Amino acid sequence: MTTYVRPASLEEALELLAGDGAAPLGGGTDLAGQVDRGISAPATLVDLRDAGLATVEPDGDGVRIGAAATLAELAESAVIEPYAAVGAAASLAASPLLRNVGTVGGNICQHTRCWYYRGQEWHCWLGGGETCYAQIGDHRKHGLEPGDCISAHPSDLAPALAACGATVEVRSTTGARELALLDLYRRPTADDRSLLVLEPGELVAAVRLPTPPDASAYQRLGERAAFSFPLVSVAAARHGDETTLVAAGVANVPRKLDPSDPLAGLPGNPQSTWKRRALVTLVERALAAVSSES
Amino acid sequence: MKPRLVKSQREMEGRFEDVWVLVDEDDEVESWPEDAELDVVGKPATRLDGPVRTSGAAHYTVDVALPGMLHALILRAHVARARLTGLDVEAARATPGVRAVLGPGDATAMGGDPVLTDEPGWAGAPIAAVAADTPDAAAAGLAALAPAYETLAPLEVDGGLEEQRFTEEPRETVRGDPDAGLAAADARIELTCETPAHVQSPLEPHAAVARWDGDSLTAWVSTQGMFDARRELARRFGLLTEQVRVISEFIGGGFGAKQGAGVEALLAAELARATGRPVRLALGRHEEQVVGGRRAWTRQTVTLGARSDGTLTGIELAAVVAMGAGGWIFPVAEPALSIYACPNVRTMVFPVRTSLRAQNAFRAPGVVEGVTVLEQAIDELAGALGMDPLELRRANHVDRDQGSGLPYSSKRLLACYDRASELAGWAARDALREPQADGLLRGMGCASQIWWGGGGPPAHATVRLDSEARALVTTGIQDIGTGTLTSARIVAAEELGLPLAHVVARGGDTAPNLYGPVAGGSMTTPAVMPAVRSAAGKVRRILLSLAADVLEIAAADLTISDGRIRSRDGALDVDVVEVTGKLGNATIDGTGARGPNPDGFRVNTFGCQIAQVAVDPGTGVVAVERVVAVHDVGRIVNPLAASSQAEGGVIQGIGYALSEELVVDPTTGMPVNGHLDDYKVPTIADMPEILVDFPNVADPNLPNLGAKGLGEPPIVPTAAAIANAFAHATGRRAAALPLTPARVLEVLA
Repeated sequence: MTTYVRPASLEEALELLAGDGAAPLGGGTDLAGQVDRGISAPATLVDLRDAGLATVEPDGDGVRIGAAATLAELAESAVIEPYAAVGAAASLAASPLLRNVGTVGGNICQHTRCWYYRGQEWHCWLGGGETCYAQIGDHRKHGLEPGDCISAHPSDLAPALAACGATVEVRSTTGARELALLDLYRRPTADDRSLLVLEPGELVAAVRLPTPPDASAYQRLGERAAFSFPLVSVAAARHGDETTLVAAGVANVPRKLDPSDPLAGLPGNPQSTWKRRALVTLVERALAAVSSES
Repeated sequence: MKPRLVKSQREMEGRFEDVWVLVDEDDEVESWPEDAELDVVGKPATRLDGPVRTSGAAHYTVDVALPGMLHALILRAHVARARLTGLDVEAARATPGVRAVLGPGDATAMGGDPVLTDEPGWAGAPIAAVAADTPDAAAAGLAALAPAYETLAPLEVDGGLEEQRFTEEPRETVRGDPDAGLAAADARIELTCETPAHVQSPLEPHAAVARWDGDSLTAWVSTQGMFDARRELARRFGLLTEQVRVISEFIGGGFGAKQGAGVEALLAAELARATGRPVRLALGRHEEQVVGGRRAWTRQTVTLGARSDGTLTGIELAAVVAMGAGGWIFPVAEPALSIYACPNVRTMVFPVRTSLRAQNAFRAPGVVEGVTVLEQAIDELAGALGMDPLELRRANHVDRDQGSGLPYSSKRLLACYDRASELAGWAARDALREPQADGLLRGMGCASQIWWGGGGPPAHATVRLDSEARALVTTGIQDIGTGTLTSARIVAAEELGLPLAHVVARGGDTAPNLYGPVAGGSMTTPAVMPAVRSAAGKVRRILLSLAADVLEIAAADLTISDGRIRSRDGALDVDVVEVTGKLGNATIDGTGARGPNPDGFRVNTFGCQIAQVAVDPGTGVVAVERVVAVHDVGRIVNPLAASSQAEGGVIQGIGYALSEELVVDPTTGMPVNGHLDDYKVPTIADMPEILVDFPNVADPNLPNLGAKGLGEPPIVPTAAAIANAFAHATGRRAAALPLTPARVLEVLA
């Protein structure tokens, strides 16, 4: 039995989220799929739509994006225009229908699309089992980084936000902390299989973007022209002579790449080495798009 | 009226069988002359059911909700091969809300074969079924069954040939002397290509609702074959045909996957009988994608030999088909045997047993797979000969079926080549290979299409005309979304001389007991429409005879069109209601039956598609930019529905070529992408410009209408044309489809 609640403020939402088995509900586009496949079984669904987290607004020289803002709202927001990579990622993710309900917080916190993790027929290592079925099975869409789990990070927004230097505002009833977006993610370990550093009761309440980069771009490769998770994607942001590259689809987490050696540490597996070639192309195109010479 | 029973031949997707056919001499309506000016046939008409389908008002089987209805779920193993070692049926029965539980051995199909198994041999095989007051209670009951298994290794296609692990004997067909033919060739090529397992993925899953009223059974079934469903249910439960009513008014797609009653209707009826309550059983999306069916994976090797002028001297095909647990071997060898003139052909088909469900029909089963590889080989041969690919195809044109030696009833493939070539700009195709400003590699490829689609008896219809000159056409059509009921209205309106708006057509219900064939084999139009025209023709003759009485003019001097009765001399012009109005509460009724196909011919459909693609060599993305589809299917009844059919076939063919592929986990034998998030059906954003045209000339040898079926032809050549365009663009050929970014990058590396 699942209880549905719709708190009218962030404080009330945090109180509810402190309860056992409570899960934040944005658009539900990932959570519903998790419930459907037995990955999550929340006791309480805490609907965030009235919690005051849906604004996209200027924040000093930067922008503050409420976690409950939808991808469509983000993509259409004028204040996001100086962050071209973020706007592109928000408008290329999923499909129009999903972008109309899927939220920024939900998008960056979504679970991997690994078909073994998502499939009810397997109890894989990441899900608490003993075997990474992808490594002995079909891993054509998996990550390139070696590890106990080779699932790939699926968010379009995360690499774009991270390249632009985003931080996240994490809230709970006991306080608030701010982390670099990339520090929100962790590689799973034998004794902790989670992919996020969030403690029980903690909520990503907002994403903050600092001063806009001089240029930024987002390049993605999907399985079809729309309504596809990125197989590989690369965001680039340039501040003066310095360019930051962050990729999705290549590791458990959104992963920084070294612009001079983007494939470093990403050997791939027999069926996924093709992703190395795609990654090189996307890096070249993203770098070209942010180049000061163009 | 003189009914007779005659022996005739019936064809279904390339299988021929002799059938007795009830023939009524009054049914022998003459075909319209080629220059006849028709008022309704051949004019684009929107479908009557369009608004209810698009607004959501249409009630599909999954929407049926009856008072007291129970919800049923099926237990399926999480591994493809296993032996059941534990199943707690009592715990499931004791679950609150659960009304009935069936386990292995508790349910059988019409032939007595068990429906539920304790030795699942394929992914998703049904083990038990639970019916409960609510879906949640059924799920709790399913969980309480707590099955335990001894797991067995799944059967993969690799090793199947070596182990001779076949579902039935491999098939070899030989014509002439293929070894000598290939040896005598000036040019010879060999091509091996794998084609993917392709899932039908209908929007509405397999579903049934069953309700018993005493000894009578009503079943709502999402099926392409409601009369087959009726027969199966009657046999299974020992009922008379008239005790079973099957309703299939709206069907959310089938594409071949929904035949007869299916496990769903058998189990729903069994559970309804056990509980005395109506029972609904609808597959979930994951179940649908795993057990609904698929076009089988194949690996085919084609060897072609030709003289330097392009004349084929020998064809050899070796095809391995991953059958799953069994099923009919679809005609994968047919294209090699029939598309081109060649005296020397050998085809071998190896049906390997694997651990998926038995392969089932998917829109032009077998022929899509065969054409997809053969037509790529033809292009390779054109390359080896330095010939234009379309010229090579023209050079090997054939006007008779080489297996039977019989001439085709009509064939306008050469006209299709010409028209497609013109629409696609084929003559300038090599300009596409110049360096492109956007950095993409462009190319254009073609492929030929062959399929059956002549239909045949039996099919029946009635037409009833009332005093307000409104006509009701009753048929055995189950309109799976193709618009065939609208075609029935068009044909009846034409024959009756009434405006289309004055004619309605019904189907989707076995209660009137007017038989129609399964909506498969591209046979609804060629089988049913002649029966409709025949029934309408009888009503028309009666109406004219009544008009002669009322208007005091000889019937032979009267015509009816657009709802008006006119004398041939032009002196008289009255609304048809002037005559029908005298009927009061009486009606004019006519029945019609489809007559046999003519002896001495093979009836086939033909066509050509040309695709243009753009390949991104950096990411491996293949975008289809344009597809031209020209198909010869005889007379076109409704051009709007016909172009929709062609577009739908092309869209499904694009999915087969670029993104759709059922992937199976080697460890468990379970599909890893049995969900729509990972199984990539194309979206509207992937769609190219699709240009459709038809020669639209009636087949003079088909009875009464000259129209052939169009359900299947348009999907046949699409993937081959795209693969050929890819090879034209890149100079490389992929060893397997679909052309995903992963494969393309590997091919281009």
